[in-house]
Amino acid sequence: MEKKERNERLNGRDLINIGVYSAIYFVIVMALAMTGLIPILLILLSSTIAILGGIPFMLFLTKVKKPGMIFIMSTIMGILMFVTGMTWMPIPFAMLTGVLAEITYKAGDYKSLKAAVMTCAVFPLWAIGNYLPLFLQREQYFADRTSYGQDYTDAVMRFTPNWMFIVLVVMTFVCGIIGGMIGKKLLAKHFKKAGIA
Amino acid sequence: MIRFEHVNFSYDANPNEKILSDVSLEIAGGECVLFTGGSGCGKSTLLRLLNGLIPEFYEGTLSGRITVLGKDISQNGIYDLVGKIGTVFQNPRAQFFNVDTTSELAFGCENLAMPEAEILARIDMTVVDFHIEKLMNRDIFKLSGGEKQKIACASIDVLRPDIILLDEPAANMDYESTSDLRQLIQIWKQEGKTILIAEHRINYVWDIADRVIILDRGMITKNICKNEKNTFTDMMCQKYCLRSLSSVSVLDMVEKEKQGLSNKTKNMTEANLVTNPKLELTDFQYSYGNTEVICIGNMDITENRITAVVGPNGTGKTTFLECLCGVRKNIGKLKFHGKDYDSKARLKEIFMVMQDPNHQLFTESVLEEVLISMPDEDEDKAREILKELDLSEFEERHPMSLSGGQKQRVALACAIASERKILLLDEPTSGLDLTHMLEVASILKKIKEQGRTIIIVTHDSELIEVCCDEIVKLGETKNLAV
Amino acid sequence: MQNILRKRGLLKVEGQKSFLDPRTKLLLIFIEAVIVLATAGGERLVVFKAIFTVLPFLLLVTIRKYKTCLIAGGILLTVMCLEYFVFQNVKGMAEAMLVIVITIVTRFLPAYVTGVFVIQTTKVSEFKAAMEKMHIPDEITIPMCVMFRFFPTVKEENESIRAAMKMRGIGFGGKKASKVVEYRLVPMIACSAKIGEELSAAALTRGLGKSRKRTNICKIGFGICDYLIFVLAAITMIYWILGVIMR
Repeated sequence: MEKKERNERLNGRDLINIGVYSAIYFVIVMALAMTGLIPILLILLSSTIAILGGIPFMLFLTKVKKPGMIFIMSTIMGILMFVTGMTWMPIPFAMLTGVLAEITYKAGDYKSLKAAVMTCAVFPLWAIGNYLPLFLQREQYFADRTSYGQDYTDAVMRFTPNWMFIVLVVMTFVCGIIGGMIGKKLLAKHFKKAGIA
Repeated sequence: MIRFEHVNFSYDANPNEKILSDVSLEIAGGECVLFTGGSGCGKSTLLRLLNGLIPEFYEGTLSGRITVLGKDISQNGIYDLVGKIGTVFQNPRAQFFNVDTTSELAFGCENLAMPEAEILARIDMTVVDFHIEKLMNRDIFKLSGGEKQKIACASIDVLRPDIILLDEPAANMDYESTSDLRQLIQIWKQEGKTILIAEHRINYVWDIADRVIILDRGMITKNICKNEKNTFTDMMCQKYCLRSLSSVSVLDMVEKEKQGLSNKTKNMTEANLVTNPKLELTDFQYSYGNTEVICIGNMDITENRITAVVGPNGTGKTTFLECLCGVRKNIGKLKFHGKDYDSKARLKEIFMVMQDPNHQLFTESVLEEVLISMPDEDEDKAREILKELDLSEFEERHPMSLSGGQKQRVALACAIASERKILLLDEPTSGLDLTHMLEVASILKKIKEQGRTIIIVTHDSELIEVCCDEIVKLGETKNLAV
Repeated sequence: MQNILRKRGLLKVEGQKSFLDPRTKLLLIFIEAVIVLATAGGERLVVFKAIFTVLPFLLLVTIRKYKTCLIAGGILLTVMCLEYFVFQNVKGMAEAMLVIVITIVTRFLPAYVTGVFVIQTTKVSEFKAAMEKMHIPDEITIPMCVMFRFFPTVKEENESIRAAMKMRGIGFGGKKASKVVEYRLVPMIACSAKIGEELSAAALTRGLGKSRKRTNICKIGFGICDYLIFVLAAITMIYWILGVIMR
């Protein structure tokens, strides 16, 4: 009984691992966010995060043996987005995608490589939370600016149609698979041989 | 207090290699024992068995019996030992959990849920005992390696453990920092703590240790009691692959040289007869923001020689090398072979081996690593270089899976392969035992014979003794190398 | 006894406090997001929007980050000028681009500046204390503390690796351009992961995760400035809610 609890509960080492890999992951996110100053790349941000983030994330997954670690990392990403001024919406959204990623990896019993690549595809969906205010609060946004007339409204509309959201999800997911594959390759090529994985 | 009975141990990662074999020993309360021997002799493993990191962190197979504080270690989890056993680790950068020093000191006590007032009282006492008032409330990232280790010792001290383990605490320290560390260990000794030190740099603790145990390939080869220590000489150290017993400050070496007392000066005058051409630095400057770190009016470095650059902590030795090789852009001239080099041009002419070789190992195999360093990739030549440095058997290994000494050799192999004429090294022997230090020294001599100029920043007096031709002190005056 | 008090003064463990409580800072970030970034309440709250647009810049001044303040403020003013003078006169593609620029800058910049202020002024131990006071579970607090401690490490490793690559002539302009990302990321991840392992070992021997209950010597609490922010936030919220009810 005691043994089981010890195995399932996250211990100090697990929590430190979450912190270490969140730091590495977030440094990469921030580096990519710098490119987001160019509007087109801003839309692509969640996809580029999915590709490059897949490399440390794949390594992180080799340390994950218990439920909760992926969910916590996802939540932390949401909180960081909140702190950097992306509204509160990314937090619940990241928690939701975190649960999905957790379920995906658990389906592979926390060791299957295939499940790991799939988890790499689901996890970066948290980044889409950043775009949520743009989609959900558009009405309010226009109410605010009606004095500018129809042209303005149309311009914004053109850039953020609702189906864009679905496109973003699919794009991020596909890029996540690519990132996971790259991560898997580098895992075998470098990290396993170096004795880190 | 601590008893090992016929202990055998091997790590799961490498089950065929016996790290400890048939180790039996007993340590009484209040004893200060120094465990020493070349790298891989099992001294660190011994400590890990005591603080519970084996088996909870490092897995392996153990036979025999170990008792600590009257209990078999199998009954002690890592958490049961918190506050009873404290450990200071090797890497000063990796063992602090907080960003500021005061929180770091409180960390252990906070984890044990001690009342705040008690923690503050304990911190007060430790700070006074260790004389670290100046280090309080500071950003740990801005401390020097030696200062970080002091904080590590202090953060153990606030937990008031009975047993203190030190795992190569001085691996990256200079002479001044090791004497500080020695003082802290002495304080603990006076308080009657049981102290176990694993270290191959033995000079700074040699005379305070009550007992010295030398290990070789997991076996105890020599057990030196307090009264036998006097009969142990430097000659015997070499036999057991240990660093020198006498501690020499590299700064004193410079002074001696100025007075013409050392052998180096003799070599130098001989060298000067041949009048080697010089590499000239003029008005060489660098500043971080408004503080000037480096300011050299004039410095000559003899070509085709090995020059040691020494200086007290915080004189910007590493920054100096980074400027010299062009990684950091700075103001100043470097004249080499009668030609002026600016920062950009220097990048192509100078190779630098960094303090932590991990930072410059990029590829998936040792061979590949050497290949990308070459101006034109040539596999036969790369293999030749590896053979020369005794690295042939590691050709296909991932560079990051090698030991510290091997990584250092790979970095040197890359330097040779680069065919650049000037080679800079930043503390190449920190953390290396005698064998590996001598290996590095002999490789450097070989490189010199190929007609290259070598500049080493170091605090390792033995390395300077073995292979350097000249010695220069940084951070003193403008015309320091006259 | 007197001796200990003197030393206590020296340590300043208790005395050193940033002028806003970390929880107040979190509230500020939240308000910025609601009022400025999401422009809640629309036209009715325009005065408050203006207040909360200016406030982050004032905060930067209090911590003497004049340069950041001037640059960010300059950008904001320029864009506002664009919005009021140029926007009505352009059409087509230029208009679309302007929409994006205006949206991003006027809404995101104040929130971003608040973020800069919070990150610059909050010590990790204060953050930890605040999280504990708000009853956020350790499973979130500990990893986040490790993360804040680890950012500088990752930065250090990254800089060393960048220097090594430059020295060896590997880069987009040099050798092996196709592998630059791999050569940069892999050692950075590997070195950081190794330090992380050692950090875990050191933290475990000092009892991290031993007991569910922990203490904290870092004391946080609300002061006058905190209450001023609360009052301002409360007024804003009440005014907004009244507006919604009356509609």
